[in-house]
Amino acid sequence: MSTIPRVPSAIPGQPPHFGSVMAQAPAVAARFGELYATFWSKGVVDHRTKEVARMRNARVTDCGF
Amino acid sequence: MGAFYAANAAMAAGPASRRIAGMAWFATADETLPSFEGWLQHRPELREMYKRFYGAPWDDRLVPRDLLELCRLRIAGLHACEAELAITDPGAGLNDEQRAAIGGWEGADCFAPAQRAALALAEKMPWRHHEIDDAEFAEARRHLTDPEIVALTVAMALFDANCRLRIVFELPASPSAAVPSATGPLH
Repeated sequence: MSTIPRVPSAIPGQPPHFGSVMAQAPAVAARFGELYATFWSKGVVDHRTKEVARMRNARVTDCGF
Repeated sequence: MGAFYAANAAMAAGPASRRIAGMAWFATADETLPSFEGWLQHRPELREMYKRFYGAPWDDRLVPRDLLELCRLRIAGLHACEAELAITDPGAGLNDEQRAAIGGWEGADCFAPAQRAALALAEKMPWRHHEIDDAEFAEARRHLTDPEIVALTVAMALFDANCRLRIVFELPASPSAAVPSATGPLH
């Protein structure tokens, strides 16, 4: 596993992070943002349950971010 | 960590009968739609957004289609996901020899360098994503632009997610030859 970001930021002045790297492909980033924002802001599953699942998934996949 | 991923891979390589049983855990929301899309139709708003997200690499021509198809099928093979393997993009430009060799691509000589670079990333995406190394990523960047790399990596994550969804919900295969698109059916 690398400790160096493998893709540069597409946003001038910003370091590589999830949003600035995704910005390399604006169409993908925009559609992901639309889906993910709706997933979190609306829906039939309560926010607490979603957050528990998100945190558990991050641990299982060993994602420290 | 290696043992964890080995255990997952072993499960994926286990009896396929469970994954092709053809009986979903719950009913489709719309029998006129392909099984995967019919399941997503339980949340129509999210279904439409997911289709726009999933279809972007094809609709906007963000990544060469042969690379998308190779990575999709390799990831489906690693998951032993019969439902995903039943789908074909007829316009991907792959020949029969290449399609037959995807499972053993590392020892095959029918793939171009860019295809091998993409397959090397796909090989580790489902169970060994922490093992993708700098050399493999650098090789991919020799053949693809940064926007293409980002779009392909996102697409691979979605291929992985789609397989997991199909397997968890025991979705039956809907064999089809279709171009993925936000405006077409999602098989």
